[in-house]
Amino acid sequence: MAVDGNPDASASCHLSQPTEPILVATGLHYSYLDRYPALNDVSVEIRRGERVALLGANGCGKSTLLKVLDGLIFPAKGAYCAFGQEVTEDTMEDVQMSEGFRSRVGFVFQNSDAQVFSPTVREEIAFGPLQLGLSREDTTGRVEDVTAMLGITDLLDRAPYQLSGGQKKKVAIATVLVMGPEVLLFDEPTAALDPRTQYWLMDLIEQLGQSGKTIVHATHDLNALHRIADRCVVFSEDHTIVAEGTPEQTLADRDLLLGVNLIHEQSILPRLRSGPAGCV
Amino acid sequence: MTDAQANAASSQRDRPVVPQWLLQQDMAMCPCGCIGKRKRGSYLTKTIQGGSKLLQQVMFGEDVATARGLLQRIDPRVKLLSLIGLLVVAGLSHSMIALGVMYAATIVLASASALPVSFFIKRVWLFVPIFTGIVVLPATLSVVTPGDIVLTLWHWNGDPQGFTQQGLVAAGRVVARVAVSISLVVLLTLTTPWIRLLAALRSLGVPRIFILIIGMAYRYIFLLLTSVTDMYQARQARTPGTPKHDRSARAFLGASVGALLGKASQLSEEVHQAMTARGFRGEAKTLEIHQPRAIDAYYVFAVVIFGMAILIGDHLLGR
Repeated sequence: MAVDGNPDASASCHLSQPTEPILVATGLHYSYLDRYPALNDVSVEIRRGERVALLGANGCGKSTLLKVLDGLIFPAKGAYCAFGQEVTEDTMEDVQMSEGFRSRVGFVFQNSDAQVFSPTVREEIAFGPLQLGLSREDTTGRVEDVTAMLGITDLLDRAPYQLSGGQKKKVAIATVLVMGPEVLLFDEPTAALDPRTQYWLMDLIEQLGQSGKTIVHATHDLNALHRIADRCVVFSEDHTIVAEGTPEQTLADRDLLLGVNLIHEQSILPRLRSGPAGCV
Repeated sequence: MTDAQANAASSQRDRPVVPQWLLQQDMAMCPCGCIGKRKRGSYLTKTIQGGSKLLQQVMFGEDVATARGLLQRIDPRVKLLSLIGLLVVAGLSHSMIALGVMYAATIVLASASALPVSFFIKRVWLFVPIFTGIVVLPATLSVVTPGDIVLTLWHWNGDPQGFTQQGLVAAGRVVARVAVSISLVVLLTLTTPWIRLLAALRSLGVPRIFILIIGMAYRYIFLLLTSVTDMYQARQARTPGTPKHDRSARAFLGASVGALLGKASQLSEEVHQAMTARGFRGEAKTLEIHQPRAIDAYYVFAVVIFGMAILIGDHLLGR
């Protein structure tokens, strides 16, 4: 893909082996209103079946990167390829490309209110499959399956304004899972949820990961990192990526976490999966 | 210096410096617990409270719409078509008796549909005086509708002027028609969940995108209403004493409208992205339910017979 004078990008989009990264972003630059930078030369690769945590303080660019990865916004500079195809405003105009991409990549927004826009939960969950051309019978079957899996069948005929925050989040997740995407993008999935819903969600992400889904989630919650991530990508507050590594490596690097404002000097780090407690 | 000491020193540096006035234990309330002067709430308070009440009413309405009553079991499309038919019948009826029978029938239907009758009557008669009473009031006067004076209000060139019998009958007929029409509409909206009503409109040929926009507007009105209430309550929580109805109140209102527009704009962008992320490309496809049953046929039959009976009765009774 070539964006803003990057002629080699198209060649680099070619996916020759299944083990190669399925999402490849190279040298991304993005600014809001051309004044407020959100991504500054960000490059990231996501491999099939991988669980990646994007870590960083508030406003560092994690959500922006997720929106770029979902083809909702497009970088001013840099290139992004998904499944071997370049993703640009132009290529996403192509119906076949757009439908293929949307059915393979699902995005759970941080603000569930934005994602739950239909008059009832049933209509909401059915929205995605119907837009992608599934028949009403198949869609209804999928809606029943996914709501049974998430334990929200009793909410099907409720209006979104009658739901609690946790219920809305479950509905938002159902709206994405019902499309059966290969890649799941979560923006701050556990933010503003009660502990029981947080743990329910982490269990779900863990199970989805084990079933082979590729999962990318933006978070600054370090507590469950070892459960829901194989690799961490750390953003600094100047919107660049400053480190990558396993959750153990990332949590062990206290100076890094302090530097990017992910912990405070008095913070108690979660226990690492192996070795002694990461308590400081 | 040890690491622990260094950390402690660093933490001390990062701590915000709290100004002295913030640490003072100030007695803000009157220590004697006396009760001060009271003032009635402003237009702002009433508007916000009205918004909250609307929210509660709609939630109550959704509960009623899913209750097990007569009209709740009828297909919304059948109800919508019957409503249109009955509205035409009410519009064509001139006899007060025919209109009275129609109004009584709406109350019977409300009762059979698990609607609290007093709530139903209040809801209808809340709108009638506002939308009709004021409009038809001049028609009751002899200057607009000449006729037999029943109550003299003033004299003009020696002739008595005031309410006329003909004027009052004409106004009464209009009020009765409006009351019947509003009762029919309220019956439909209170016994039909919003989504089913939209689906019924869609099946009657209203464009899909129009239905989608109405549905989303309805959904987000509540979200924005909650934002307005939050903003107002946040202001109220920081306003000691009685809120004034002065320039600051107007400025707050203007600022709230601006903030709300900003929020609505941001939300609409996010909603569009959420729709795009799930494959929306300009034309929305929705689930539609088509399950006509025997009870719908009986209902249509009953409505047709009732409508014809009203029209025939109206014709026989004359004007």
